[in-house]
Amino acid sequence: MPALEVVNLTVQFEGQDRPAVDSVSFAVQEGTIAVLIGPNGCGKSTVLRAILGLVPFRGTVHVFGGPLADSYRKIGYAPQRLAFDQTLPLTVREAIRMPLPRRPGSDDEDSFRHVVEILGIESILDRPLGMLSGGQWKRSLIARALVTRPRLLLLDEPEAGIDVTGEQTIYGLLEHLVTEERITALICSHELELVTEYADVVLCLNRRLLGSGTPEKVLTPNALASLFGATPALYLHHHELHRDRHGPPPESSR
Amino acid sequence: MSEALALPFFQRALAAGLLVGLVTSLLGVFVVLRRSAFFGDAIAHASLAGVALGVVTGLPPLAAAAGVGVGIGFVLNRVERRSRLPIDTVLGIVMPFFMGAGILILSLAPGYQPELLSYLFGSILAVAPASLAVIAAIALFVMPVVLRFRRALSFVTFDPDGARVSGIRVDRLLVVYQVLLAAVVVASIKVVGIVLVNALLVIPAATAKLLARSLDQMFLLAPIVGVGCVTAGLAASYALDLPSGPAIAVASGLVFFAVWVRVSWRRRAGEPSRAEFPRRNAGLP
Repeated sequence: MPALEVVNLTVQFEGQDRPAVDSVSFAVQEGTIAVLIGPNGCGKSTVLRAILGLVPFRGTVHVFGGPLADSYRKIGYAPQRLAFDQTLPLTVREAIRMPLPRRPGSDDEDSFRHVVEILGIESILDRPLGMLSGGQWKRSLIARALVTRPRLLLLDEPEAGIDVTGEQTIYGLLEHLVTEERITALICSHELELVTEYADVVLCLNRRLLGSGTPEKVLTPNALASLFGATPALYLHHHELHRDRHGPPPESSR
Repeated sequence: MSEALALPFFQRALAAGLLVGLVTSLLGVFVVLRRSAFFGDAIAHASLAGVALGVVTGLPPLAAAAGVGVGIGFVLNRVERRSRLPIDTVLGIVMPFFMGAGILILSLAPGYQPELLSYLFGSILAVAPASLAVIAAIALFVMPVVLRFRRALSFVTFDPDGARVSGIRVDRLLVVYQVLLAAVVVASIKVVGIVLVNALLVIPAATAKLLARSLDQMFLLAPIVGVGCVTAGLAASYALDLPSGPAIAVASGLVFFAVWVRVSWRRRAGEPSRAEFPRRNAGLP
């Protein structure tokens, strides 16, 4: 049973003459990292938002075999950005705890401590969100997404706005979560270098799903040129480097 | 002041002021965080039409104001989500329309309407036992609901999409918020009046925001500031023979100004403060 199954997902916004996302179908297996790639405006974030039920859509979405409406507790979500008041006196600790319902006798505190530990954010817990660096902010958002112990994690461009070291740290953390805690991740990304390094499955989107498969299969110069309109030899080069460094492709290592 | 406390009318005024100061400043935290100060103002102005209907038809004016205020709260909630007009434009339409309608309806009642001024600017020293009972009922209804939904409302304020994904029924919660806001505004009318209602709804919470280092602190400080401002305004009103509503509004403003000066001074001196948050990363800190 796939962790996430999307069938004929179509999103048509009011006043638009064509769908933002058109008949997209794919499945993500449990314990894998799937990455949606595509140019700006191709519908990556819209697919994530539709899966989360944040925009109206046609088609079906199943999470671990069940309908979306019954699955919210199984999903964690970290948006690319939040347009919130920077002067809000909200600490990292408070923001991470927000999704936790106050249930007597629950293991919420254990869950909170767990995500704080694996994300290494103990030192910034009492800092206001408006004073965080890009990397700290991303970690805090991921911590909030993980604090309810979801089985499916949806991340919208987790690398946006942070430096190269921060990108590697966050993707390394994701790899750890997937391998050690059997979390499934669906990520939107522009960073093809990171995609080649960490993705098990790549989904090429440009309103429609143009192709899917392992990075080796999908990230060919021709496929990328048709998707992005450029020859991304650089990315393949890095992928080769990764394979030299880490051995076989990810699916065989997990 | 001590002899004033022995007077029944002053006891009622103090009780009404403390209850209203407590509950408005608590809900005011969300008003400030959600940047919905003019929602409160619009509801207050619209409730004048309710007061007028009450005066003309013989219904209790505060009850009629509560009905109109809650109704407007519902409508504004839907309009905010669905209208193509910016919400400040909508509020700019709602406020003069209902205020004008209220005054026109009042003009239908025979004779001079001396109560109009008391609804516009408050008359806390003339709070009758029945009005105190309405205020107490509203406070006892609003406080537990706010405390119960505090975390969820904070989540919705900070990140509505994240709240939805967490299973919070955001639209329902916002309706609850609007109803609470309408109820609190109506409770404030007797204390500071329709025109000055934001004095209690916005100023204590804004003052607390300047001082707080966390949301929990803001929720703790806002009611303390609110109650303090009402007490100070009421004392000044009694001691200096000033109109009570404006005295409370001015006291609240002075407290805010004093805190703002102190925070700004500390910032210049290099100490960290809430007002110092960097704005360079708007949307992506």
